Amino acid sequence: MTIDVRKYSRFLEQLASEIDIPPGKYQDAVDRYKSVGAWLEDGEYPGCSGELSIYPQGSFRLGTVVRPIRDGLEESYDIDLVCEMPLRKERTDPQSVKSIVGDRLREHGTYRKLLDAEGRRCWTLEYAEQDGIGFHLDILPGVSDAHGFLDTSIAITNKKDSTYSWSASNPRGYGIWFDGKNAAAFAQAVFEQKEAIQRRAPYIYESIDNVPDQLVRTPLQRAIQIMKRHRDFRFNHHARLDYAPISIIITTLSAHLYGNETHIYSALCGIVGKLHAHAALVEGKAIDRSLSSMGLIQRTPDGKWYIGNPVNPAENFADRWHEDNHARARAFFSWVGALQEDVVNIVSTTDLRLLKEHLSGALGAAVVSKNFDLIVPTETVIDSPPRIHIMGAAKPWRAR
Amino acid sequence: MTEEMKRQLAELTGIHQGLSNLAELDHETVLSGTLPFEASADGLEPITDKFEIELGIPHVCPDRLPRARETAGRIERIYPHINGDGTLCLAVPVEQRRIFFEQPSLIGFVNRLVIPYLYGYCYWKQHGWHPFDEQQHGQEGIVQHYIDTLHLADELAALAVVCFLLEHGYRGHHACPCGSGLKVRKCHGPALRDLHRHHTPQTVRHDFLSVFAICFSKFQASQFSFPTPLRDQVLRILGRIKK
Repeated sequence: MTIDVRKYSRFLEQLASEIDIPPGKYQDAVDRYKSVGAWLEDGEYPGCSGELSIYPQGSFRLGTVVRPIRDGLEESYDIDLVCEMPLRKERTDPQSVKSIVGDRLREHGTYRKLLDAEGRRCWTLEYAEQDGIGFHLDILPGVSDAHGFLDTSIAITNKKDSTYSWSASNPRGYGIWFDGKNAAAFAQAVFEQKEAIQRRAPYIYESIDNVPDQLVRTPLQRAIQIMKRHRDFRFNHHARLDYAPISIIITTLSAHLYGNETHIYSALCGIVGKLHAHAALVEGKAIDRSLSSMGLIQRTPDGKWYIGNPVNPAENFADRWHEDNHARARAFFSWVGALQEDVVNIVSTTDLRLLKEHLSGALGAAVVSKNFDLIVPTETVIDSPPRIHIMGAAKPWRAR
Repeated sequence: MTEEMKRQLAELTGIHQGLSNLAELDHETVLSGTLPFEASADGLEPITDKFEIELGIPHVCPDRLPRARETAGRIERIYPHINGDGTLCLAVPVEQRRIFFEQPSLIGFVNRLVIPYLYGYCYWKQHGWHPFDEQQHGQEGIVQHYIDTLHLADELAALAVVCFLLEHGYRGHHACPCGSGLKVRKCHGPALRDLHRHHTPQTVRHDFLSVFAICFSKFQASQFSFPTPLRDQVLRILGRIKK
């Protein structure tokens, strides 16, 4: 092995932080969604009792945001919000819930202009930003569907052709489940990271206490970001896009398999290795008993697939994996294999040029070459001086 | 020395192994030795060379950046980019900070500032001109840096910009100090935010004094006059600095 895995971990860490949402952007996004929330809250809705609540879900909530790639270009961040209306599910219908929110957004001069055509489940506000890094706010209208005092389940609306129906969801519950898997590593990382974030962005956060928990990243979150980035590169052609592993599957399985490793590389090794060990399922063969007993990815008797939502086992994230001759399952395992090669086994490469080419192809040339000197192995330096390619050099000056 | 600094030193000496002498002083850590490199730049030939280098790394780094010196007398005295105290003049301070924070570590400092500087020197020696251009000296260079990077109209606009940074830091909803009449957010927002991010109170004050000195000398030579609000702002800032 020629690459120092600690250095490689730091490289991955840096790379993940660059495809993550930067603190300034995070703050902008929070400000934006709070003002949307305030606007929605100020509205008058017949039949509503109590306050509506608006909260983030998905990668923005989970701390696993990656800047999306579309057609090979860096794109706007996607931020998903739930807008839970204080309506009783049995006294309303999905179409009203959806349109109440849409109508209220249209009453606002700015939001009307930012609003996209109605989506299947959500309303989208598109913010184009000065610095070229915009975001989409996806607002998902819903109502509580709780069965029990502490239940956070909601019913969201679904539009197909022109008929509306309810779907079950529980983003709050999922967030709490994920936090639980992440808790030990979070406790270990929180202080040091908040301090570093505050030091780098004193203009946003006056003190460490002002740095939100949502900006701390554990090796689990970093590993998920790297995996999603790798996925985005691998499935970036239109033809393959449909079969790309969805983020919720990557996130769920990773959180299940994470063993509180303290470095991103060891976290990836563990997660990817165990996912890889599930590959025999495609051929309908048995897998290692310790894995099959966890039941994370299952084959059902009728040959279909099951990956359960940890907070709602009735929801199957892999409900379409059998379609088109198991195309999604095949795509998933071939992606896991590539991940193992490109990101995990790569530490045994001896040829630096190959290493760089490989990583660039897998994770993006710009971020890789920018941070490549973080992993240059020391052994090769002994005989030849470090090779530097100068980009964006400063003009020399003199103070007089 | 902090754990973080130890880590950064180990990272640096792991790659640039010739930098092997370490001395701990009151306010700084001094690392010295040979710095061999093989460097290239877009469209320019690769150069392989080595220099004897001494890095003074302040304990308060990165509030103050390291300084580099060439200790074997390789860099000729006629080369115009050596400071009075013998340190290498890598760039205008805020530009140095900007580049440093792209990879805020000692290895970043050496790879992105020191080696490009040494490459530039070697290139200049061979060809007689600067591959990365050069900045005017002293206060003029600082003013020029603001004018160039923000595409400002003149020195007064640069003064308005540093005054703004000094008094407000970054404020998206204020009128842009460049005088366009637009909000900062719709005008120089990203550039001002970057500057604000890389400045410390000391560096922004230093730049203010430099830009002000240039403007004041032009004012005395009656080349231009100060608009009243800017004059009041300058007086306010000067009053505060004096205190």
